[in-house]
Amino acid sequence: MGSSYAAVKDESEGSGDEKPETGQFTEGEKVLAYHGPLIYDTKILKAEFRKKEWKYFVHYLGWSKNWDEWVGADRLMKPTEENLEKQKKLFKNQTGDKQTKGRVPAGKQKSAAEKELKTESKSLATVGKKRKSDPVVEAKDSDDADPLLKIALPGTLKKQLVEDWEFITQMGKVVKLPRSPSAEEIFKKYIDFKTKRDGAVEDSLVEVLNGLRSYFDKSLPAMLLYPQERAQYASVVPQGSTISPSSIYGAEHLLRLFVKLSELLVHINMEQEALTQLQQKLADFLKFLQRNQSNFFLTSYG
Amino acid sequence: MGDNVQHRPPPADGTTSLSSHRSTPAYTPPSSASSPFKKGMQQVELELRLLEAFAIYRPSMLVGMHRHFILFGLMDHLERRSVTRWCRLNQRFSPDEVLQLLDRFFNMDLLKPGDEELDLVNHEEDFSLPPSMFEEIKKKTSA
Repeated sequence: MGSSYAAVKDESEGSGDEKPETGQFTEGEKVLAYHGPLIYDTKILKAEFRKKEWKYFVHYLGWSKNWDEWVGADRLMKPTEENLEKQKKLFKNQTGDKQTKGRVPAGKQKSAAEKELKTESKSLATVGKKRKSDPVVEAKDSDDADPLLKIALPGTLKKQLVEDWEFITQMGKVVKLPRSPSAEEIFKKYIDFKTKRDGAVEDSLVEVLNGLRSYFDKSLPAMLLYPQERAQYASVVPQGSTISPSSIYGAEHLLRLFVKLSELLVHINMEQEALTQLQQKLADFLKFLQRNQSNFFLTSYG
Repeated sequence: MGDNVQHRPPPADGTTSLSSHRSTPAYTPPSSASSPFKKGMQQVELELRLLEAFAIYRPSMLVGMHRHFILFGLMDHLERRSVTRWCRLNQRFSPDEVLQLLDRFFNMDLLKPGDEELDLVNHEEDFSLPPSMFEEIKKKTSA
């Protein structure tokens, strides 16, 4: 694990011009693959260097082996958030049926693939670019009826996330728990702040904050921890205990939720208006985090 | 509409317009706008809006971690459609009011979280930052 994180860093810093030894994808890796107009979850069973290019033998997850085939790298892409969104979009346009979205095979497979989302390397950026000029995709992209949640993190919070990554994955430190303020306390502070400023807090905002807290509690053990933090989690939230992560973890982990939120929401349908409202509320909350960055976030980890 | 589904008894004071089809005789409407007929219409309209909303916000998601965001969506939906062809409905619905309305259609105790959610919480994946974030920070710091 640690080495793959390091790889991400190296690549973002290096010139990126080195000749790939293993190709962009490796055997056993789960990737997304175009098949016709849609994108499917696949697993690479074999990778071979043939006629000066890498070919991959892929299995479409959830489909018969009869569909297994050799494809070039141009048909494949890493399951990044962006690519998963694209997959979702293409699939939805195809079926045009919002109701069944989460139940049909492609939807199911997708959730399986999301979980395989691990590290991503630089190659995906180039694949992504290539794909953008793909006529099939372009046609689908322009037909943009699909509401998607877009969360723009303020720059200083992005920096915070990268520092968080450095402390934990590069320096081997962890956030000392319990944190003060905890995520729960941060939500309370935000409500107090809004009440003071506006006189009252809308029910809908309270609902959004409650939602964030429940996503945080559910997703923290499932997808918000670096591998280096698992042991700590097991000791602060022993199996079977009812301690909620939002009462011990703080801003550092809460911020990570915003990286994963759109992924958590793929199975939710929302009207465009509601989505816009939601986005505004989330942006305002993030601004609040940013304004209080020095109070809420640790500057160095124990 | 809701006659063949189980619904809550009207509250004793009969002040809330959301809880019942029947207009309580003891309650004198303040204006002609809330005559028993109008009131019935409002109720029907409200239920129609809600049924319409279920097409977008799956009621099964009201249990589990999506509950609050789904409620948020339902509140938004009802608020946005508060003025209908026939009558004006309550402008705002609190989460409790929405849940009370839902109770007429569903036995919430029997709803179960969807598979997607169970898949998610039963599965562990490591957190990782999108590479774009590193690139952006790098650009900023080197600039």
